[in-house]
Amino acid sequence: MELERFIFLTVDGLARGAVYAAFALSLVLIWRAARIVNFSQGAIAMAATYIAFVVTSMTGNYWLGLVAALLGGAAIGLIVERGVMRFVSPVNPLNSVIAALGVLLVIQAVVGMLFGNGYYPMAVPFSQEPLPWLAGLSISAYDLFVFVCVAFVVLGLAVLFGKTNVGLRMRAAAFSPELARLLGVRSTRMITLGWMLASAISGLAALLVIPTELGLNPHATDLVFVYAFTIAVVGGLDSAPGAVIGGLVVGVLLSWVSGYLGATLSPVAVLVLLLAVLLIKPGGIFSVTKERTA
Amino acid sequence: MTLRRNRALAIVGAASVFALAACSTNGGGGAAEDVPGVTEDTVTIGTHQPLTGPAAAGFASISAATSAYFDYINDNGGINGRQIEFIVKDDGYNPANTQTVVRELVLEDDVFAILGGLGTPTHSAVLDFLNENEVPDLFVSGGSPTWDQPEEYPWTFGYNSEYTSEAAILANYAQEEFPDGTYCMFGQDDDFGDDFEAGLLEILGDDGLAASERYSVANQDVTAQISALKAAGCDVVFLASINGFTALAVGTAAQLGLFPQWMSSSSGGDYGTLETDYLQENAPLLLENFISTFYLSLETNENDPWVEHFQMVQDEYNGGGELGGNEIFGMNMAYMFAEALAAAGENPTRESLVEAVESGAVDGTGIVPLGYSPEDHTGNLGVRLSQVKSGVQAYFGDTYIYQDGEVSVYDGGAVPFENEGIPTAE
Repeated sequence: MELERFIFLTVDGLARGAVYAAFALSLVLIWRAARIVNFSQGAIAMAATYIAFVVTSMTGNYWLGLVAALLGGAAIGLIVERGVMRFVSPVNPLNSVIAALGVLLVIQAVVGMLFGNGYYPMAVPFSQEPLPWLAGLSISAYDLFVFVCVAFVVLGLAVLFGKTNVGLRMRAAAFSPELARLLGVRSTRMITLGWMLASAISGLAALLVIPTELGLNPHATDLVFVYAFTIAVVGGLDSAPGAVIGGLVVGVLLSWVSGYLGATLSPVAVLVLLLAVLLIKPGGIFSVTKERTA
Repeated sequence: MTLRRNRALAIVGAASVFALAACSTNGGGGAAEDVPGVTEDTVTIGTHQPLTGPAAAGFASISAATSAYFDYINDNGGINGRQIEFIVKDDGYNPANTQTVVRELVLEDDVFAILGGLGTPTHSAVLDFLNENEVPDLFVSGGSPTWDQPEEYPWTFGYNSEYTSEAAILANYAQEEFPDGTYCMFGQDDDFGDDFEAGLLEILGDDGLAASERYSVANQDVTAQISALKAAGCDVVFLASINGFTALAVGTAAQLGLFPQWMSSSSGGDYGTLETDYLQENAPLLLENFISTFYLSLETNENDPWVEHFQMVQDEYNGGGELGGNEIFGMNMAYMFAEALAAAGENPTRESLVEAVESGAVDGTGIVPLGYSPEDHTGNLGVRLSQVKSGVQAYFGDTYIYQDGEVSVYDGGAVPFENEGIPTAE
């Protein structure tokens, strides 16, 4: 009985942690591309999910909506980077934080004006009921779908940054824009590309997590963003494996705390974890170099 | 030094207050000019409501309905010849904002009274301020017993049925109908949940609940809590949850294969809101047999003159659309203020407004008696139960009141519809 509950809570936490991991990855991506902690990421993801919602409602097809979330997220990332963030002076890192918060408020307000403040339940392509042949574990077909999506994102990014020319140029542009430019890399274009990619991934993450919560709303990603931000910092802002492992760890931690100590304490537990990591290893658990302070 | 200066200032201040008071008494007759928010032909009041932010869904339509009902009254001549101006300020359900907007209402907009401030955590933040400034604080929208403390907060009056009363009445019904049930509770991790649980235990006994789980509004994953209810073998689950978390609980339970008899507080049990704002096409199935409580007309009531009247106001003053629990709640709020104002005399003062409420001049439009007297600032003394069948929420059985630890049947009937829904001085 006790063991059963422990396994139940752990598996449930892993399923949620996978989505947090995807979201945290998008934060890591922007950090690697532009050295910016993007506080508007949640709102961009939320807006992309609204695009998916509209497409799915109109066509009745979930997969078209999923494609729309990716493309829509990329488009919003493009607009935000080219329209706002590019013009923010990099002299003080606070500038970009403030600008991103401004973008967050504008997106939430515009979406609220267009769609209202109600919650829209979102369709899912697979059942959310636990699979009978895994009884007791509470893994649904939808959870498996989430795992597959997140695994796909992680592998895709690993290949992009590790094996391809574009990935190498993006890393160069992020690490030293001036030097990269001298060597023939179109740095600004690489930064824009990073924003588009990150926004598309966060859109996907939001699309995956929102159906498991209250539903689509202008504030639907607020809490997810806070968790993802914690995960990104805990993992080390430029460590992709850190984001993935951090996501799973935080997901399980939240589930354990909520299940054994009470739901009230789970947001507190995340803060305690953040504080502990910042005190003990401020660079994040998986950070290897000092490049992140660049 | 500073102390002395402060004292001097205080004396000067006090002296000028006395001087002003003296002037106003000497003036005589012109009382209307001296009362904040009251002129010869207007009365200005205000409220704080969540119009934006996470809590706006499910609550924002209330104040719109209140405004619409005041427009209706104003178009028919107002109350005692005065038009009612209703200022709605958005606090986003954030107590810090509530403090700011209520101070603006009282100190800048000079409102006569605050009407129907929404939310227990939000309104608690301005309770002391309003009472220190002696501003009538009428019909707070929240079921906390805090509002009913005439000694400490003489200017504040509650409205919603108290959480303890609802809980006791639901528990009483559960004992009658499901005597062999395993009773459990799912509630919010604050006074809402605690007061509700106290009411349940009052009836069920100290070990009457097999499991009691709490959610936090800051955590939208309730899987851990619902799975614990399932493990405890619950077949009757009492809900002390706001609408969003009622929807979440019911949906998560269905995913986990838990299908108990739900028995919900009125605060999170309005079928229309649950359907429109959260569950939509899943609502009829997930909420079949869902039991809740309420104390006003339900829009599904047949031949209810109040419902027909509110629908007319909805069509003509609130942009049409479906009449739901929130609209009825909001319009009732306006009606009750109009009742109090009508009874407060030709030249109403803040004191006479409060006296009017305490004298029992306010009946509202509901089906349950109101508790207002000099010793009691409770609103609705009880509730009637409703159940959802095939997507229609309707009342059934008796109306109950809960007083002095006892549930009893109330057979006084609903408040009759009179004078086209415009209160007059009695």
